[in-house]
Amino acid sequence: MRPFRAARSGELVARLEAAEAGILGLLLDQLEQLLTADLDDVGDDPVLSRLFPDGHRSDPEMAADYRELTESSLRSAKADDLAMVRASLPAEGGEVRLDADQAGAWLRTTNDLRLALGTRLDISEETEPPDEVAGEEDQQLAVYYWLTAVQGSLVDALVAARPGRR
Amino acid sequence: MAGPLAPTWTPETTSDERSELDRPWVTVVWNDPVNLMTYVTFVLQELFGYDEATATALMLQVHHDGRAVVSSGPRERMEHDTSRLHAYGLWASYQRDS
Repeated sequence: MRPFRAARSGELVARLEAAEAGILGLLLDQLEQLLTADLDDVGDDPVLSRLFPDGHRSDPEMAADYRELTESSLRSAKADDLAMVRASLPAEGGEVRLDADQAGAWLRTTNDLRLALGTRLDISEETEPPDEVAGEEDQQLAVYYWLTAVQGSLVDALVAARPGRR
Repeated sequence: MAGPLAPTWTPETTSDERSELDRPWVTVVWNDPVNLMTYVTFVLQELFGYDEATATALMLQVHHDGRAVVSSGPRERMEHDTSRLHAYGLWASYQRDS
């Protein structure tokens, strides 16, 4: 990967290897499955609880009202973001070139993927990248840290490109 | 208040009830181990228009104290702020100010 940087045109540009684009594509498929799954099947999935948290922590009635009010629009916004990321991802790897809207979609979707993986892997503030990739969990951890690098470079590039920062 | 319009009785509001009614609602961001510090700062600037120093101070408060109040106002607006934060994956909730 060549990390994101702001081009003179204002676009955010990165380059992904074919294998990286492939992994990101698979992660998008998995996230889409989770977002479109029947809630009766996945309603208590901890990843969904993290992607759609309670709006109120101590009042279940208020939390239910909040969910009723916001969850379907949050869900469709995530689906729109996901579709936009997929459309701007070169399937065989190569240059990624994003306008401001697409950059926002990448920012939120890579964050959702990190939240999903982080929840599955039980990431804590003490978790460290694996020294060597021995098993499947190490692989997932390596993917998590790769996503962190992708998203981190996008945040840094967006901050650097802000008006008044140059 | 004195005069013809003065209330003939005073509603008996205990100080607890009164403070319950007077307290505004707030939106709280909670610490989580996944969201990047740079991302949290970026989102707070993006959604609330905070300058970089204010957003950074709030992010550090979340990181060190476990939580920070990022906005306050009527309940409906705090619900809305919470959902905007949820759209960015921040761990947020709204409550009466404590």
